[in-house]
Amino acid sequence: MSDLLLDVCHVSKIFSRGGLLSRQRITAVDDVSFQIDKRRPEILAVIGESGSGKTTLCRMILNLELPTTGRLVFDGVDLATIRTAADRMMLRQGVQPIFQNPFDSFNPMKRLERYLFLTQRRFLAATQQPASSKAAIDDALHQVGLSLKEVSHRYPHELSGGQLQRVAIARALLARPKLIVADEPVSMVDASLRLSIVNLFRTVRDLGISIIYVTHDLATAYYISDRILVIRNGSIVESGDAKAVLKYPQHPYCRQLRDAVLLPDLANAAADVPISMTGVKGTGEPDRRP
Amino acid sequence: MHAQAVPDVPSEAVPPMLSVRDLRTYYRANRLGIKREVKAVDGISLTVRRGEIYGLAGESGSGKSTLLNCVAGAIRPPMEIVGGDIDFAFLSGYGGLHRAPPAEVARVRWRHLSYIMQGSMNVLNPLRRLRSVFVDFAYPHVGGTRQQFERQLHAHLARLNLDRSVLSAYPHELSGGMRQRATVALATVCRPDLIIADEPTTALDVLVQKEVLGMIRGIQREMGSSVLLVTHDMGVHAHVSDRLGIMYAGHLVEEAGTAEIFRNPLHPYTKHLISSLPRIGDDAPRCGLGGAPPNLADPPLGCRFHPRCPLAMKVCSGEAPAMLETAPGHRVACFAYNQSGGA
Ligand SMILES: Nc1ncnc2c1ncn2[C@@H]1O[C@H](COP(=O)(O)OP(=O)(O)OP(=O)(O)O)[C@@H](O)[C@H]1O
Ligand SMILES: Nc1ncnc2c1ncn2[C@@H]1O[C@H](COP(=O)(O)OP(=O)(O)OP(=O)(O)O)[C@@H](O)[C@H]1O
Ligand code: SF4
Ligand SMILES: [Mg+2]
Ligand SMILES: [Mg+2]
Repeated sequence: MSDLLLDVCHVSKIFSRGGLLSRQRITAVDDVSFQIDKRRPEILAVIGESGSGKTTLCRMILNLELPTTGRLVFDGVDLATIRTAADRMMLRQGVQPIFQNPFDSFNPMKRLERYLFLTQRRFLAATQQPASSKAAIDDALHQVGLSLKEVSHRYPHELSGGQLQRVAIARALLARPKLIVADEPVSMVDASLRLSIVNLFRTVRDLGISIIYVTHDLATAYYISDRILVIRNGSIVESGDAKAVLKYPQHPYCRQLRDAVLLPDLANAAADVPISMTGVKGTGEPDRRP
Repeated sequence: MHAQAVPDVPSEAVPPMLSVRDLRTYYRANRLGIKREVKAVDGISLTVRRGEIYGLAGESGSGKSTLLNCVAGAIRPPMEIVGGDIDFAFLSGYGGLHRAPPAEVARVRWRHLSYIMQGSMNVLNPLRRLRSVFVDFAYPHVGGTRQQFERQLHAHLARLNLDRSVLSAYPHELSGGMRQRATVALATVCRPDLIIADEPTTALDVLVQKEVLGMIRGIQREMGSSVLLVTHDMGVHAHVSDRLGIMYAGHLVEEAGTAEIFRNPLHPYTKHLISSLPRIGDDAPRCGLGGAPPNLADPPLGCRFHPRCPLAMKVCSGEAPAMLETAPGHRVACFAYNQSGGA
């Protein structure tokens, strides 16, 4: 068997969108290839323009979306051959998602602890972890700064955005996967907790789990990632060692991105966000953009 | 009955756009005979001046969204406002949108006040194309012909770096950041007096984020609008907020001009928040705040930060510090500063 945990090979995805008359084809992902080595667990950051296909790429790796062309192989299994529920279950055991919006990933009618117990039970048999599920769940929750006591009996909407996202991360950890695909996992939590969570990612990586970390936060990407992919218009425009790419970006787009980061200090603060005047109320004005 | 209370910020000739006085909002549940009360907002007072961007930051779960929901009048059980008043420049005398008659609420929404909710990318109706959403909500408040409205909409979307083709898309056909910009567009196209925004740029790359913030500042400049802006991104606060409030466990613990907060943070939580920010090129290991976040159903006695505070003193676990001014415009709730003089 190969040493690749994940092999993304010339993958593209084309959507069509719009009304009957204005139908548009959109190339969300355009010939993307990259690999993750089984022997070297890593944190792979994916950054890039909003709407450039990062989420679509994640969804294909999670087998929630099929590529239009190209091939994805996870741990020796070609995702195109997955047909049965059992296959899907096997895959989910290996790759766990953490989504952009935690309110999406939970059924609002189900209590959170039930979720966690179900996840625990579902993956327990396969991994042969020692039973004591309550302790395991409490442990996973503690790793993300919560406790079972706090979470039990609550429904998803009874937690704040950041708290719910932490539950989603705890749930992903419970399954003991080989790869976690985290799509903007920390966009809803405060800076301090953000650090705790990315530090947790590092611990998780050292346990042998690789993480694909999609983010708009270049500072944490720099802080935590081993490798980075920069995506624009569906294609990888630059990749390599995360620290090198972010410190000395080569591609003009990457340079622009890095220079646009709003630093939390005050030098030139006001000048950095140019005020865009919107014209007088009630008048439509021409589009100034090229 | 409310208007005469004294705001804690030096009052000016013009009344503030928004004033919140001693607001207390709890989530009250009674499950299986066990009463639970989550004190999500517990005695917060703040003022948003005319033409000002007031930023709020604070721990995840500290009550920021709860506060914004109260201001926007989005109150659903088990959320209950148990005390305090909220007054607007364009709606006063009721003590809050939740106490105003429906006709007043309808008058004020969109035109005077708009609310960009947290996770706003998910509030769009999944069954309707974006154009219908804009026509339903915004068009009635903008006036003019449909063509004029359409033109105005295109220009507005372009400012947010969105192609006009998104108007014929369903929400699920757009990326998270595109949906987020669409809701920002919806909340700003009528150019309201007060924009309440809860994490409006979290799903955006830094380049697009800049344009969105620039647009919001543009409206603020032009219309003299005020913005109440919640975000975890301290970089955003540094660049756009005029004043900054820091929340911890249902309390406002510090408030000052943005420059002052960054240069001279006083509250130990604020200090931690500012020092915990990683930067590109800085390889020093950093860690989040130790200890468990407070449980708001059973908050720590005294200063709610004391179990995690490096400066905690004996008094801190017994008494709650009041929010007092240490310098003009700089308020902090901490026994390490000036508590004997003010209280
Ligand atoms: N189901 C769909 N139908 C049609 N178009 C889609 C669909 N899903 C995504 N798209 C389009 O594909 C492109 C890429 O979207 P994607 O969600 O992958 O972007 P993203 O990089 O995750 O952006 P963001 O940073 O804003 O989350 C967008 O132009 C989007 O409109
Ligand atoms: N419906 C509810 N029932 C019970 N408790 C709730 C409910 N909604 C929120 N809470 C609690 O109220 C507190 C404040 O939540 P809120 O959403 O206002 O936090 P926040 O500061 O906006 O956090 P974040 O930055 O993570 O969005 C949290 O501790 C949360 O668990
Ligand atoms: S009042 Fe005491 S415990 Fe609270 S922040 Fe100040 S020093 Fe720390
Ligand atoms: Mg996305
Ligand atoms: Mg919130």
